Formats: sequence, C-alpha cells, structure tokens
Amino acid sequence: MDLFFKLGWYFKSQWRRYAAAVTMLIGVDLLEMSIPWITGRIIDHVVDDTLSPELLWRYVLALCGIGVAVYVMRYLWRVLLFYSSFHLAEIMRRRLYDHFTRMSPSFYREHRTGDLMARATNDISALEMTAGEGVLSGIDGLLTGLLVVAIMASMISWELTLLALLPFPFMAWYFMRIGERLHVGFRDAQERFSDLNDRVQESVSGIRMVRAFGLEQKEDRDFLQVADRAAEANMRVAATDSLYDPAIFITVGSSFLLCIGAGAFLIERDQLTLGQLTSFTMYLGFLIWPMFAYGWLLNILERGSAAWERIDALLRTPSPVADQGVLHGIANSSIQIDVDSFQYSGTDTPVLHDVHLQIPAGSLLGVVGATGAGKSTLISLLLRHEEGAQSHICVGGYPVQQYTLAALHAGIALVPQDPFLFTATIAENIALGRPGASLEEIRAVAALAAIDQDILRFPQGYDTLVGERGITLSGGQKQRIAIARALLLDAPILILDDALSAVDVATERSILGHLQSARAGRTTLVLCHRLSAVEEADKIVVLSHGTVTERGTHAVLLALGGWYARMFEYQQLERVVEAGH
Amino acid sequence: MKLDTELPRGINGATLRRLLRYSLAWPRLLWQGAGLLLLATLGQVLGPVLVKVFIDDYIAIGQYPSRDLMLLGVAYAALYALSAWAGYQNAMRFNQIAFSVIRTIRAQVFGAVMRKPLSYFDHRPVGSLVSRITNDTEAIKELFVQVMSSFVQNLTLIIAIFAVMAWLDLRLMLLCGLILPTMVVVMYHYQRLSAPRYHHARSVLSRINATLNESIQGMRLIQVFNQQERYNGSFRALSQELFRARMRNLRLDALMLRPLPDLLRTLTLAALLLYFGTQSFNGAVEVGVIYAFVNYLSRITQPIVEMTQRLSLLQQAVVAGERVFEILDDPGEAPVNAQPRAMQGAVRFERVSFSYDGSHRVLENIDFSVPPGGFLAIVGHTGSGKSTLISLLLRFYAPDAGRILLDGLDLAGLEQESLRSGIGVVMQDPFISAGSVRDNITLGLPMTDAEVETAARQARLHDHVMTLPQGYDTVLGERGSRLSTGQRQLLSLARTLARRPRILILDEATANIDSHTEALIQQALQTLRGSTTLICVAHRLSTVMAADTILVLHQGRIMQQGSHHALMSQDGLYRHMHELQRQRSRVEEGYAGLPAGA
Repeated sequence: MDLFFKLGWYFKSQWRRYAAAVTMLIGVDLLEMSIPWITGRIIDHVVDDTLSPELLWRYVLALCGIGVAVYVMRYLWRVLLFYSSFHLAEIMRRRLYDHFTRMSPSFYREHRTGDLMARATNDISALEMTAGEGVLSGIDGLLTGLLVVAIMASMISWELTLLALLPFPFMAWYFMRIGERLHVGFRDAQERFSDLNDRVQESVSGIRMVRAFGLEQKEDRDFLQVADRAAEANMRVAATDSLYDPAIFITVGSSFLLCIGAGAFLIERDQLTLGQLTSFTMYLGFLIWPMFAYGWLLNILERGSAAWERIDALLRTPSPVADQGVLHGIANSSIQIDVDSFQYSGTDTPVLHDVHLQIPAGSLLGVVGATGAGKSTLISLLLRHEEGAQSHICVGGYPVQQYTLAALHAGIALVPQDPFLFTATIAENIALGRPGASLEEIRAVAALAAIDQDILRFPQGYDTLVGERGITLSGGQKQRIAIARALLLDAPILILDDALSAVDVATERSILGHLQSARAGRTTLVLCHRLSAVEEADKIVVLSHGTVTERGTHAVLLALGGWYARMFEYQQLERVVEAGH
Repeated sequence: MKLDTELPRGINGATLRRLLRYSLAWPRLLWQGAGLLLLATLGQVLGPVLVKVFIDDYIAIGQYPSRDLMLLGVAYAALYALSAWAGYQNAMRFNQIAFSVIRTIRAQVFGAVMRKPLSYFDHRPVGSLVSRITNDTEAIKELFVQVMSSFVQNLTLIIAIFAVMAWLDLRLMLLCGLILPTMVVVMYHYQRLSAPRYHHARSVLSRINATLNESIQGMRLIQVFNQQERYNGSFRALSQELFRARMRNLRLDALMLRPLPDLLRTLTLAALLLYFGTQSFNGAVEVGVIYAFVNYLSRITQPIVEMTQRLSLLQQAVVAGERVFEILDDPGEAPVNAQPRAMQGAVRFERVSFSYDGSHRVLENIDFSVPPGGFLAIVGHTGSGKSTLISLLLRFYAPDAGRILLDGLDLAGLEQESLRSGIGVVMQDPFISAGSVRDNITLGLPMTDAEVETAARQARLHDHVMTLPQGYDTVLGERGSRLSTGQRQLLSLARTLARRPRILILDEATANIDSHTEALIQQALQTLRGSTTLICVAHRLSTVMAADTILVLHQGRIMQQGSHHALMSQDGLYRHMHELQRQRSRVEEGYAGLPAGA
C-alpha cells in the first residue's frame, strides 16, 4: 500500500483519468449485476404465469441495452486506466534515460549495463503493473465484492448470502497460500534456470576440452542433472498453479450446493422465489474475481515496491561531477596539469601522483608508458570524467571546473581507446558531434584519417550500416572512423587515447602526417604504447606507475638510455620478428 | 533484453506437428490424461444438470422426499469432488508430459551441440548457442504446459457443454451455438488485425532496448561529443512511439478481446430468455432447463478467450522449435568405423595445408615427424599457426591438403576412442570444476586412489594436495578458486597424465604461469621423456629449450627446424625471438626498477 502513496504524485496528475476509469468500473459492476436480477425476474414471472409479451420484450431490450452499455464502458475503463499506466512507464523510461545522459563515467563503472537495462525494462514494467492492474485489482476487486454481497443480501436474502459465503473465506485463504507458494516456487525456478544457463555456458565455452578428453557423455549426464533440477522446480510451480482451478471449482460447487439446498427450504416456506434463486447462483460467480484479486494485488505491490526502490535509488544518485561552471568557451588551447595525487573512489592506491605538465597552445605532446601507468586517467581528469581534491587541471588558463561541461567538451575532441560505433551509417557515426555536417565535410575528415578509400569500397559507401547490427569492421577501420569523428569537431584540443594501436605503421605515419598540417596551431595529445606514434612530438613524457619518469623529445629520450630507449629498441626488434626475419 | 523477439506472422505447421509428436513417447500418460480430462469435464457439465433435475422435479412441484434429495446432494458433492480431483490429476499428467518432452528435447539439443564439429563453433557466438539450449527450450515448454493443455481442456469443455445443451433442448442449443461462429469470425479478424500491430510494437520495443543498451555503453562518447540533447530527443520519440503502438493494441484488444465475448454472451442470454418467455405463452416450460442454459452460457466464453490469449505463446514456441530443430537436423561428425588399437606415439605431418575459410591459408605445407618418445617443440608469434596445428592433430579440423599419420596410419581413419585415449592435451586455460581434486583428475573415469596419486605425483601436484585440508577430497570451489593459476595448470597436467597418453600435447600450457610452476612442469616433462611422445607449443622459449627438435613457425610455414643449440647458432627468427624475450624482460625489469618520480 505504501507504494500507492509513493506514486501519489502520479495519481494526482492523472486523477481525472483514474476517477473516470473508476466511475466506469462502478457502472460496469452495477449494470452487470442487474443481468442476473432481470433473469430472475423473468423466471419468476414465468413460474407465476404473470409474464406478458410487452413485459418480456421490455426485459429483453433492457438486457440488450445493458449488454451494449457494459461493452462501451468496459472499453472506456480499459483505455482510461491502461493509458495512465502505459503513460507512467513512458515517463519513467524517459526520466531514466535523461538521468543516464547526465551521469559521468564513474557511475557507469559502478553499474553494470545489464543491471541498468533491467531497471529500465523489467522494473518499469513492474511499476506499470502497479498503476494499471494494481489499481484495477485493488479498487475493482474490493468494489465488486462489496457490491455483490450487498445486492445478494439486500435484494434476495441475507440468510442465504451468509450461507453461500461460508466457503469463500476458505478460498481466499487458500489463494493466499497458493500465491505465496507460487511466489517462492517461481523464484526458485528462476534460480534453477539461471544455473542451467551457467552450466550450458560452461560446457559450450569448454567445448575443446570436452572434445579432447572425450567428455561428451559425462557432460550429458551433468547437464541432465542440472536440467532435471530446473524441471523439478518448474514442475513444482506448475503443480501449485494447477491447484487454482480445483480450489475455485470446489468452493463454487459447495457454495452452490449450500445455497440450492437452503434455497429450496426458503422457497418451500415462501421466503424466496425460484427466479431469485437462479439470480442468486449467478451472483455467486461474481465472487471469484474479488477473492483472486486480493492475492494478485499483494503480488503486484510486492514487485512494484521493489522496482520503485531500485528506480528511485538510481534517480536519486547525483552525478559525481557537478556542472556548475560559468565559462562558455575555452580561451586558448594551452593545458596545465598539476596532479599531486589521484585515486579512484573506493580504492586507496593512487593511480597518479606528482604529475606536473605544461602544454603550450598549439603543441603536440606524446604520453607513453605501459598499460596501467595512468595515461587514460590523465585524460579522464582533463575531461572531468573524474575529479580529485588534489588534482588541478587548467585549460586556457582557467580551471576546468569553471567551464560548463558542454563548453569543456566542445573544446576537446577525444578519440577513445575503445572506438565505439553506434548502430547507424558510417556517415552518421562520423557526424556524431555535428549531425548537420555535409558529406563533403565528412569525406574530408575521413580522408585525413585515411579511411575514405576503405569506406568507398563498402557496398553502400558512407551509408553502410555499422555497429552491433551492421557490418563488422576491423579494429583498425573502427579506430580510423573514430579519428575522423573527432577531427570533424575541429576542436582546439585533440586527444588520441591509444587510438592507433590497431593501425599498421605505414597508415599510422600517414595519418600523423595529415594531422600535423590539418591541426597546425592547435593542441594535440597523443597517448600510446607504440613509440612510433610520438616520434615527431614536440615533447614526450614517459609515465610509469602513475608518475612522470622521463621527459624530452624523441632524440633526447633516446640519448637518455632509459625506459624509452630500451622500449624503442625492443619495438624495433619486435617489428623485425613480426616480419618473420 | 532479448533483441531477437521478432516473430513471423504465420505458424509453421510441420514444426508444430513435430513438436507435438514428442508427447507420443508417453502413451500411458496421454491416455490417463485423456481419461481424467473426460472425467473432469463430465463433472463440470453434469453439475448444472443435477440442479436442473432438482429444480424441475422437486422444487417446481413442491415435493421434497428426503431420501431422493440426500441422494441428489451426495451425487452433486461426489461429482464436484471427483471432477476437481480429476481436473487436478489431469493437469498434473499434462505437466508431466510437458516436462518429460522438454527433458528429451533439452538432452537432444545439448548432446547435439556437444557433438558438433569444432568448426561449427567458429562463427556462432556462445551466447546464442546457450540461448538455443535454454531459452528456446523454455519457450517450447510453454507450448506443452500452457498451450496444449489449455486447448485440449477448453475444446473438450466447449464440445461437452454443447452436447449436454443439445441433450436438454436442441433448439436452445442451436440458438446458443450462434455464439461460436460469431466468436470464430471475431477472433479471425482480431488475429488478422492484431498480428501486424503487435509485430510493430515488438519491433519498437526491441529498438528501444537496443538503443538503451547502446546508449549506456556509448554514454561517455555521447557526453564528450555534447550530444545528450539529441540522444534524449530520439529516445523520447522512440518511447512515445512505443506508447502509441501499445495504446493502439490496447484499443483493439479492448474492442475485440475481453468485452466482446461478454457482450455476445449477454445478447445470447437475451435471445435465450426471449425464446423461453415466448415458449411459456404456449404452454409449460421447464425452469430447470433455463437454469442450466443460463449456467452454461456463462462458461462458454471463458475457454474461447483463454485460447486466443495463448496464441502468441504458441507462435513463440513454434519459432523456438524451428531454431532447435535446425541444430538437431544439422549433421554432426560422422563416426569413424575402425578397430580400436593401442598407440605407439609416432607422429608425422606430410605436406599439410589448412585454412579456416577456404581462402586464407593458416598452415602451408607443414612437414615433420616425431618418433615415439620424442620431444618436439613448436614456437612462433601469435597468429603463426601453432594452435591450428595442434587442432589438426587432435582432429578438431581436417587438413585441406596433405596427411597426418599416427604410427604410420592416416589420422582420419582412426577410431575415436583409441585416438582420445592415445593423445592427451594440456591447454592454456584449463577448466577446473567446482568439485574435489579427485573429481577434477578422474573427470568421471573410474580410477583407483593409487592411480590418481601417481598422476598427481607425475605432475608434481601431490605435495600441494597434501597441504590441502581434505587432501584429494578437498572441494576446489567455483572455477577452482582455491588454486593458483600455476597449480591449476599442474592439475590439468595431472588429469591428462592420469589417462596415460602415448602422446602428450602442451598447448601454450606455460603461457600464464609463474617460473616456479614452469620449472615443475619441465621436471615432469623430463621424467616422461623417452616413454611418452611430447609435443609442446610455447610462446615462452625457456619451456622448449630441452626439446629434441624445435619447429619455428611464421605465418603458417616452417621457417626453421632443429635443436636449441643448432638454431641459436644461426642468424634467424629463432635467435631474434630469443633476443626479443631477453630484451622484454630487460624492459620490464628496468621499468619496475626505476625510482619513483625520477
């Protein structure tokens, strides 16, 4: 019930629809219940021989009218009520998405994609159920129950009503118990099913070992064991589920028996008519739904509450990075980095310490070092994906916090390590940051990234669909599209975060050559593992275990004879071996 | 979450029939189910008849002989109890059939996947195969649990109700019978109208899920490129489109699905009463009959509605069935018929060439031989073809050209079991199950404790096992989490040696382990030398220096061949690789040894 209050804001905003839907439901219930009454009246007239053709026609036409009215009202309450529940789902989905767009990468590190997806799909469905079926079973279940009992007691016989109702509390109690068992059983079945999934996953992934050791039969046996456990759990659910029908059947049957027996007694004493007895048994049928509705409501509310908690918790998570800057554009492309120490939240080993770098506007800086040396963290700080009290980054002379996030991002174009492509055409992917760019502009940057010719060779050229459902591109092609995408922004600062690793050395050289002329006067940061990408840089820094260990030009660093020089020698040799010499 | 939820509009009759045929394997359950179903239905339709008798023969006349009434009451109670019991038992029989069928199908499809040639797995993501075995069979389950039982039960009920109606009053039955063709026409049109609409709604939903998934993964990019507004806008448009599509479906459902049968029922009731009333002007009528008809009428619509609601489940089950049968019908490996034979351990490759895709050669003209008890090492860079060569030797793939000979016999003609017992392999990333050490060594084979221990000793694992709390019975936990990477590799070696192979293959078995474990493995290899043929594929050259012969592979060809000393004396790939590894450790060392903040 608590959940209905938590969703109060929504019910308030939709109160007119809900009120109309409830009015319709009441109307439907009242009209529906007049049908047994009319049937009873006709029978009584027949038995008493007082039926006239006019009267008969009046009743029959009334029945038809009621039938049509009920039909219309049933249509209306469905549309009204489920409009509201679908609408709630729609609003929540959009809110979540909007929230997602404002969360920084550290948020995505903490929440797995599957988990976020589950909230945006399953949990929203559960909320929707609350606002639709939940309201229906709560209000209509109660309403129908009260109405039926009231009509039976006041219009026919309260003694008979009491008698006929005797079995129903048992049914309600039984339904609750079945409901609970079903709930527990269902959860168990789902767990067994996920065991089955894991088991199959293991077997299929380990197929080479299965083959090499001839384990097929053992695998079959193990699989059947897990599959049988899943089937047993499922069977228990099905068995519990099969209890509903006999329970309804027995309850209604015994109620019928009671009321027909007692009814005959009352008829004999002239306290009841045959028609009334017939309508009475028809009313009994209306009582099944309220008994069922209660258990259903509890189930919906339980699921809905859990879903609401999860969604609400997500929506309440503030973005770890506050967007409170006032500067709307970056003045110049110089960068100053002063990191005394930085660690990710929840860890205590610093990823970066004592990193102090001055990058003049228009220069090319190379940052090299082994995986895990802290190169990408540096970029995260610059882009404000991460923040730390002991790190100060300035762009154009102002701390990055003083810019609006939009301005900061507009000033910096990034080619990320993972060249993620969206399910869209190549042209659309390149034009990610400038959706209005012309094909000429797109082709121009693609040429700079040495990918134009590759794209033209695809069957649909720039209109070729890529991404998860599109064609598969090689790692190098993806990287070059990502470079073109960043170049199209023509931002004052360009960052290549290990963005050439899958591109061969010759192509790398030609792209770097293009960049030098295209980006004259602007700042470029090249982070890489392969040293050939930074040979031409104005300055190269070597990061090791989170701090700068060597700095200088290519020539200076070679002469220094440190890590850079050794790595350079190693990579030369590696190239020789890779060529097979 | 599932993206491939799009369903075709029709239902494949052949697949449906094939699925249903599975249930024929349990004839006893089927017969029992059918009998119980008839019993349950009989009870359901006869109840109102008893009440009718009571009304017409006793109440209407006003006579209540207590013996008759008792009898009637007991009959009624017994009928209801019997019907409820039979209904439950019938449902349980159907459930049992359903789960037996699913068990069979699951076992079949799992077994079929486990026996596919390895090339089958090359282009199929693990996730989709897993989904075939679990999710698709789960969807088929619904066909038996929900669809089949519902159809059989409801159809029987409808037929029985009409039969009893006809027995009571044929003309009234015909009048009520009008509801059936009307419902069929309505349902036909409903299916026709709703199928494309539901199809549309499902595809919008799967687009939403795909967009959501992609946006979450690419959110950093969307933000860095300042495209939040645009993505928000297009998601809003999609979300609203889904809302509109669902409202369209809802309106159609509300128009045709639930309220309409009720309307038809009320109208039929009106016609029934009109007929009944008119009849009463001409003479006496049986009130009990009208009672029974009113009662039946309220039970006819529910079964029809229920069946229409199960149609989409039926559709999903058949689509899932098609996918499962596709796997079952795809031929697996043809078994080789040959005499089992003990192996000596001589291996010979004769001008073997191979490619995965038919165009790009991964191995080219590979030619070498190893005598029984010899020690061959294969080295090369990533992508040089080392692992492919081992795959061919294990007969995971067949060579495109040339022959592979074991003891002078063509590998392709050897019997599967003797091949497997003859060749043992230790892989780079061994799979350790959550069971005990012993289970992981025997892998289901009957073995004495002494055999297990001997294997563990040979693999230099015994001493460590002795330090574990329950020795060989220690349970290793999820994926062998109680063991280090190196120990897992030793366990993998032990399990292989326990099978006493004549040929032992180490496929990059030393790639991820510490040098202490590597030394243990080298010791183990030294003791096996001479009695077992050793073939060792390694990236790490230290593992292979002791080999009789080292093959140096590059891009699928043998570049050099010879002992370590012979190869080191040449200015070639092997020496350069050696140099590179030395250099690498120097770089790593120097790197780690640099003072912080220098």
